[in-house]
Amino acid sequence: MSDLKQTESEKSEEAIIAVRHLSKKFGSHEVLKDIDFDVRRGDVTTVIGASGSGKSTLLRCINLLETPTSGQVLYHGRDVCGRKVDVPGYRSHVGMVFQSFNLFLNKNVLDNCMVGQMRVLKRPKEQAFQEAVKYLGKVGMLPYIKAKPRQLSGGQKQRVAIARALAMNPEVLLFDEPTSALDPEMVGEVLDVMSDLAKEGMTMIVVTHEMAFAKQVSTQVVYMNDGVICEQGSPEQIFEHPESEKTKEFLARFLR
Amino acid sequence: MGQFAKLGSDMVSLWSKYGGTYMGGIYRTLVLATIGTVIGCLIGFVCGIVQTIPVYKNDSPVKKVILKVVQIILRIYVEVFRGTPMILQAVFIYYGLPYFSNNTIQFDGKWLVSIIVVSINTGAYMTESMRGGIISVDTGQTEGAMAIGMTHFQTMTSVVLPQAIRNIMPQIGNNFIINVKDTSVMFIIGFTDFFAVHKSVVGATFTYFPSAAIEMIGYLTMTLLASWLLRLLEKKMDGKSDYELVAVDQLTLPAGVYHVDSQKAEKDLNPDERAALLKEREKAAEGGKEVR
Repeated sequence: MSDLKQTESEKSEEAIIAVRHLSKKFGSHEVLKDIDFDVRRGDVTTVIGASGSGKSTLLRCINLLETPTSGQVLYHGRDVCGRKVDVPGYRSHVGMVFQSFNLFLNKNVLDNCMVGQMRVLKRPKEQAFQEAVKYLGKVGMLPYIKAKPRQLSGGQKQRVAIARALAMNPEVLLFDEPTSALDPEMVGEVLDVMSDLAKEGMTMIVVTHEMAFAKQVSTQVVYMNDGVICEQGSPEQIFEHPESEKTKEFLARFLR
Repeated sequence: MGQFAKLGSDMVSLWSKYGGTYMGGIYRTLVLATIGTVIGCLIGFVCGIVQTIPVYKNDSPVKKVILKVVQIILRIYVEVFRGTPMILQAVFIYYGLPYFSNNTIQFDGKWLVSIIVVSINTGAYMTESMRGGIISVDTGQTEGAMAIGMTHFQTMTSVVLPQAIRNIMPQIGNNFIINVKDTSVMFIIGFTDFFAVHKSVVGATFTYFPSAAIEMIGYLTMTLLASWLLRLLEKKMDGKSDYELVAVDQLTLPAGVYHVDSQKAEKDLNPDERAALLKEREKAAEGGKEVR
């Protein structure tokens, strides 16, 4: 990692992840325009906004599942978008939970949580098992360690996906609309797990449509509209005293 | 009915005389088809995997160029061997190589040439099957693997290939069955498979139809057996369709157990506590207040 540029170090010293002037174009369509924000240790940042406003793309750019067109993603002050960056190594520190779970269908619940530890972190099997059991217990999925993903409900799958991400002991956990694909009665169990993680001080960036969750759990709320950050601040600021007209409009639609 | 009885007795007399010859043909056909399919699958796996290596923006230009060249060569290989008859490929290799090299390169072994031709032919088909199998594994799982830091190689070996190979099992079966039948074209270089036995037998006995009937039954037996074995293998790969719940001893958990359901905790209360809770609720209901 010695080739990484040391940029704007004084500005983002304490930030684990800092996004600077990030833009993303798909062809001529500009999905993200000049995005800037910081995530510090213990922050729970929720990104809200209408569908198509670029929330998910932003999250995928942070994890480099999409390559940003321009701008930087700084991880502890180091740009991870350049050449000669150990991308898999970076990703192993930044976990991600997807809307569609993305569990490995050929592996059972336990193996889903162990394979990354053993192959990426090179942990011995015994330790990988301990960690997997620890986090599967935490999300209440321990009785199901022998089940295959196809045999689980949506909420159960998502809890396994969270355990899989946690077992890698990431510094930051990204959630890409984790409850959007779930039946209403399963949303609660996943949000409860996430709230617990937030209470324990896990650093999280959550793209969500669950306004109540954003209001109660987050320390920082980012409202995106049309590829730009329209407004950002504490939950009180955004939900109680929004300044931008667009934010007010959006919240009025959501919090009827 | 008389004809059938006659056919039956002709077949029996033919078999009693030439049974060993027929069995030798079956043996050679099965060995050639099996080896050809196995090597062909290996070729197909490797080529299919190479064909699906992604190119990232950040990759070095050298890697990009090499990969592109290799992929083009493989594409040509697939198109040429899929697009020409196996019988001609056999002729090309068996007679063509000595022709071009002034007899310095020669294949003496009909076995060797047959195996090479069947293998590379099957390989060309399997390359495309493998590519399809890899593409058919949804990209979400690949992203899930990449998001926990797996490299392309790790993603392929741990997640994608086991599923891709399972998905193309019917294709492998198809190819094996096609090979059992199509190895008969190797008579062109003098390889005596099951069908070549038929020709030599009827050359001596002129019993065309009874011998053809024996051939039909022989081929069908081989292919049915192969189908059955492959189904068994598929079933084994799928694993059990049910699973056991693992009993949890909560004390052994380092992080404690997370309760999804608050109702569950209520069930654990002892009778006194539960009665107290119910009373409280009743009171609250009377007062018009809501208590959960």
